[in-house]
Amino acid sequence: MKKVAFKTLGCRLNQYETDAIASQFQDNGFKLVPFDKEADVYVINSCTVTHQSDHKSRNFISQANRKNPDSVLVVTGCMANNAKTELEGRNEINYVVENDHKSSVYSLVEAHYNGEIFHPSKINSDLFSYGSTDKGFHTRSMVKIQDGCDNFCTFCIIPSVRGRAVSRPIQDILDNVKNVVKNGAKEVVLTGVNIGRYEYESYKFDDVVEQILDLEGDFRLRISSIEPDGFGNKFLGLLNHPKMTPHLHLCLQSGSDPILLKMRRMYNIKRFKEIVNKVRSVRADFNITTDIIIGFPDESDQDFESTCNIIKDLQFGHVHAFKYSIRKGTRAERMPAQVDERIKTQRSEVLREIADDVKFQYRKQFIGKEQIVLVEKTDGKNAKGYGEHYVPVVFEGCELKRNHFYKVKIKEITKDTDPVLIGEQVK
Amino acid sequence: MRSHKVIEIRNLTPSTYIIKMEKKDFTFKTGQYITLGFSGSIDRREYSIYSSEQDKFLEVLIKEVEDGLVSKKLKRCKPGDYLDVDGPFGHFSLKEDEISKKKFLFIATGTGISPIHSFIATHPNMDYQLLHGVRKEEEAYERESYQNNNYILCTSRENSGDFYGRVTEYLKQNPVPSDTVCYLCGNCHMIYEAYDILEKQGINLGPIHTEVYF
Repeated sequence: MKKVAFKTLGCRLNQYETDAIASQFQDNGFKLVPFDKEADVYVINSCTVTHQSDHKSRNFISQANRKNPDSVLVVTGCMANNAKTELEGRNEINYVVENDHKSSVYSLVEAHYNGEIFHPSKINSDLFSYGSTDKGFHTRSMVKIQDGCDNFCTFCIIPSVRGRAVSRPIQDILDNVKNVVKNGAKEVVLTGVNIGRYEYESYKFDDVVEQILDLEGDFRLRISSIEPDGFGNKFLGLLNHPKMTPHLHLCLQSGSDPILLKMRRMYNIKRFKEIVNKVRSVRADFNITTDIIIGFPDESDQDFESTCNIIKDLQFGHVHAFKYSIRKGTRAERMPAQVDERIKTQRSEVLREIADDVKFQYRKQFIGKEQIVLVEKTDGKNAKGYGEHYVPVVFEGCELKRNHFYKVKIKEITKDTDPVLIGEQVK
Repeated sequence: MRSHKVIEIRNLTPSTYIIKMEKKDFTFKTGQYITLGFSGSIDRREYSIYSSEQDKFLEVLIKEVEDGLVSKKLKRCKPGDYLDVDGPFGHFSLKEDEISKKKFLFIATGTGISPIHSFIATHPNMDYQLLHGVRKEEEAYERESYQNNNYILCTSRENSGDFYGRVTEYLKQNPVPSDTVCYLCGNCHMIYEAYDILEKQGINLGPIHTEVYF
């Protein structure tokens, strides 16, 4: 039996796409092995959003080649778009597959083993033709509703590598959700590059969410990452639906209005706070997580302080902070007053401390309360999974099973950088 | 990406010019922008569309940037040259249901007037006032396109416009009725300051739309 190993970098959309490709390999008789083991095929689903992601992708390419120089090595994802020429020049890589051909990675490898060598550009191009993710890496079932982005934030390379915003037909999405729920999925996660800008015929993002929530079945819906500019009151009104999980990853990027303008974000701090307050008026313990860019050009100490203050003020459940790095071809590349790396590092440390503290305070409030946990790993007696707020929970119980919901009473919390709630099954 | 033939270059000042191109089947929503560069070149820049939705050609208003790579090259292009156009992009758009019902205030600095020109050329009957902030009178790009009483030129370096000072100063001295729909397009600093002033004057967050120029 041939073995395949995957490495996924970056966003949830990449995770979804890897899950779908991995399922296809398994459906066709391949055995999935960890990336650090010897495999016949290595697939690296890369990211190029920062220098660091490029660096990691290059390291994984070298690692795969060291493990098995005779393997079929496929590099896909955003770095494959952004650094195509460089990657195609590396002998150890067999195929460099751009995002719009990613769904055909299996067909390419299959053809390779049949002695047919295709250039990836000659194979099927379809952003939404991924199969099911039932054999993938995640218990949650991701459903892709959209791809690409037209916002052109000044720091962001994504519109260049993912292309223009494209929305999947609503009926395909509903069929996909029905199908995964029928096959046992308990949690559906909507993914895309800028899902709030979903637009297909007369349907907007809130219409998609509403119609999914109206579907029958024992499942809950999670919205993944969403921009604060792309939705309205109808969506906010859907947040108290019993199937909707109380978690939104709302990308803030900076707590300073002048910096948000320079980033060409389409909201200001006042608007962002209004959204958060509206969301938390639905449910006070709603988990709002966010992204922050540290050291965007011209970010002053005062701008940075504003960012620190808003993190404390809004009590984010988690902050994904990363240092700004120049992406070639973006507007911010040409901005003066680039911030010194040492200052970015210092600010990162300050921000991380604040974010960790806020996260701990947020999670601590669940002690004494109950969570509905979807189990991801279990030995029958002990289980690990995520509650509806997307906070990790470990608990004890009887005859626990993976991919089942359990009501858990939270007793305590660990004190590390990613605090985990500890509880016991409520029978 | 489509290749569009240049029809004409119209120089407005020594550093500012309009490129008029064939439109072909290109469609857009007034207020949107395109990216532009010479055919085959990887160097591209974003420019708001200056012409109207119904014009049979496509125009962009460009200011030559000192040490700029693309704006300098584009200035040298000639009728008959081909430029690659990608887009349209952006969400800086009028709301259809407001166009004939609301009073609009457009505030622009420099070439930030480009999408505003497109708004007004597309909907010439709309009820609007336009504040245009520039340094000198010569930068009142094609002011004859606007109804005289609706266009207020604010000049900051010389007393030659309708108002001597920045648009933000004009706003402070001339408060805006709270039911006005405001569109701001220009440099970050102006948008940031004007936004604050308008909010203090009672304009709600909803009716303020912004597009930043660098």
